[in-house]
Amino acid sequence: MSTKVKGSMHTRTTVWGLHAALFIWLILALAPPIMLLAASLNETALFRSPWDLLLLKDFSLNNFRVAFDRGDFWFFFQNSLIISTSAVIITLVVCVPLAYGLNKISPRQKAVVSFGVLAMRFVPYVVLALPMFLLFVQLGLSGSRVGLLLAHLSIHIPFATWMLVGFFEGVPKELEEAGIVDGCSPWRLFWNVSLPVVRSGITALAILVFIISWNEYLFALFLAGSDAQPLTIGITRFLGGAEIGAQYGVIAAYSVLIVAPVIFFALVANRYIVSGMTAGAVKG
Amino acid sequence: MFGNQHRFTRGWWFIAPGLIMMIMIVGAPLAMGFRLSLHDVFLYDFRNQFYVGLENYRYAFQDPLYILSLKTTAIFTLGCLVLAVGFGIIITFLLNSKLVRFRSTWIALFLIPFVMTPVVGGIAWRLFIWQQEFGLLNQVTGLFGLPQPYWLLDRETALIATIISNSWQLTPLAILVFYAALTTIPEDLYEAARMDGASATRTLWSVILPQMGPHILFVSIIVITSAFREFDMIMALTGGGPGRSTTVLSVFAYNRGIANQDMGMANTVAFTMFIIMATFAWVYITLYRKLEARTQ
Repeated sequence: MSTKVKGSMHTRTTVWGLHAALFIWLILALAPPIMLLAASLNETALFRSPWDLLLLKDFSLNNFRVAFDRGDFWFFFQNSLIISTSAVIITLVVCVPLAYGLNKISPRQKAVVSFGVLAMRFVPYVVLALPMFLLFVQLGLSGSRVGLLLAHLSIHIPFATWMLVGFFEGVPKELEEAGIVDGCSPWRLFWNVSLPVVRSGITALAILVFIISWNEYLFALFLAGSDAQPLTIGITRFLGGAEIGAQYGVIAAYSVLIVAPVIFFALVANRYIVSGMTAGAVKG
Repeated sequence: MFGNQHRFTRGWWFIAPGLIMMIMIVGAPLAMGFRLSLHDVFLYDFRNQFYVGLENYRYAFQDPLYILSLKTTAIFTLGCLVLAVGFGIIITFLLNSKLVRFRSTWIALFLIPFVMTPVVGGIAWRLFIWQQEFGLLNQVTGLFGLPQPYWLLDRETALIATIISNSWQLTPLAILVFYAALTTIPEDLYEAARMDGASATRTLWSVILPQMGPHILFVSIIVITSAFREFDMIMALTGGGPGRSTTVLSVFAYNRGIANQDMGMANTVAFTMFIIMATFAWVYITLYRKLEARTQ
């Protein structure tokens, strides 16, 4: 009896300690986004102590109005949305069959192609962005959404293929063999037999590709010109002399608008993000 | 019966379109980048290209600014690796305890820095955390009477500040992967360790860590590749300054190519990055196969 009481006391302290430690980490992790949100909701955010900002002492939604009006928000938003959505669609159309096919060739051939895919995943973006800059000038693609989209695909295709191969490896062999016995065509084997099994993996991939495209900055800086600029470039126009006279509140409001969709995904679809990010890891 | 199953599935038909597209979109710029690195090319007159062989590479390795940038990149990458993997392991072990409640909620919230737009994350850190007077960090250190450095405006502290901000973004990845890996360790392994009377620390060292080996390696490689090429976060935080204290190779190549218009040199710098990463990729694949063979 006495040992049991002692045991549960011990456990209770541990439980408190564990949760306290996790909570401290949570504060560290969320301090930047919370400060952004707080600053965006105060009329003036410059030269205000963070405590005032967090307590919303100067509450106002004016910053958001300014961000929409003066920041050409919808212009940048449109570019971001069009590029990200197209990137998701094209990546899926191209990479899903590619990854499926990789499991359907001989192991030696698969090893060679997978090595190529993996190697391309390691290419630093700036290595591609610099020559693309000149290449697009020559092809007449500089400053166009199509050019920027192609640049995004150079990151997405190796990433997506590598992730999807793992998902397709999980499709039970028996299922496909049954399909072959039933006389399925190669296309039906792919579309009606394998694809339904990896559906949630494809959802995970679509979300991750969207997030990566939405967040992308380097290619946009090199290749977007003035017509194809996404939101990540749009915000930098407020940053001129940020330390001196810039409107912190407006910058914060703009930032909140940019990250709102991705944070929404993180909260609502985190199950998919987790499964996508860990697929390559746990499967190898 | 179906040992030669690919006869029925026509794998190459599915592979070909994507593979061709990938070779065009990734392979072509890569080849062109290498070609440019062997030439003297300037943006304002890019049709005039003089072949100079490996001269650009020799120049780069003799350029103290390139060497400095290489060092900065190495410190930045290693710093992010240590912080992200270290905190990843600590938080995962806390989270994995059976006593923790609402685990999926914790994980969902921990994920937020990872998905946040790096440029926006950088701006948030710069304006509201590192800022010397009203930033959250110096306000807190002020409460305890601790020193309040200028962080991003000081050559001594700027690099460490950018490392911390970038690790903030990468740690969730480590947590996710480690947590997923821990849940795949079979329960009877713990059971066996307990039966043998192993202590918690001993279980950690002899049971959990060996199982985690491939996953720690996996996360390390993702963190290294990501930190090594980092551009967005650094541009948003410091733009490479103050001085050159945070000019990593990506930023250096950008400055050379776009600001100085020296495309030959910029591509040379970029291509040395590619060679370093290719070496890493090769080491990773070799190590991973060995580790996997050992755990199976």
